[in-house]
Amino acid sequence: MSTTQATSKLALINKISTAIFGNVYNPQGIRTGNKILRQRLVGPTINSYYPNVKQIKLREITKMVPEMNLIDQGEKTRLEDLAERKKRGKGPPKKGQGRRSTLKKK
Amino acid sequence: MPRARIIRDMKARATVASTEVVRQAFRYLTHNTTLPAKVRAQAQLQLNAFPRDARPTAIHNRCLETGRGRGVLRAFRLCRFQFRLKALEGELPGVKKSTW
Repeated sequence: MSTTQATSKLALINKISTAIFGNVYNPQGIRTGNKILRQRLVGPTINSYYPNVKQIKLREITKMVPEMNLIDQGEKTRLEDLAERKKRGKGPPKKGQGRRSTLKKK
Repeated sequence: MPRARIIRDMKARATVASTEVVRQAFRYLTHNTTLPAKVRAQAQLQLNAFPRDARPTAIHNRCLETGRGRGVLRAFRLCRFQFRLKALEGELPGVKKSTW
């Protein structure tokens, strides 16, 4: 038996065995992209790296339970500062009194 | 509130998870040499049209405490210094200091 005969026999055996075991017969090794389909999905693992902790804001509590009369200290100081600035004449200008509108008039 | 870099990474992770299935389908088309060249080129264009965060390589493991991106121990999700601090405090079960 010559070598060519032997190789052709081997190829035949390969073909039959793939049919029996349910494999894909691809003697040339053509890239079919099946390795992409074989990859497992990493999304769930990747997405669960950081613990899912929801930050509860004070505003949400006051919205849910208004009877508690909780004071947002930051908001309180902000409003106080604004009132102070307005008293010193540093508040927002009225409509048509700002820098831009005065520039256009000239 | 977590650090800005951590928030950015969280966003990237969410994007990766939500686009993964469709991206893999396009990746299959581009990698399949038996398909016509036009189909594969179109699939490549579609892959390029995804947001930058859709690639799994855009995500990076960060320290949960400090948001540091380097020297993060995967098993504890902490950077090396935070790991040391917590381990010495005894907050990491089973971690013990030793010398040899």
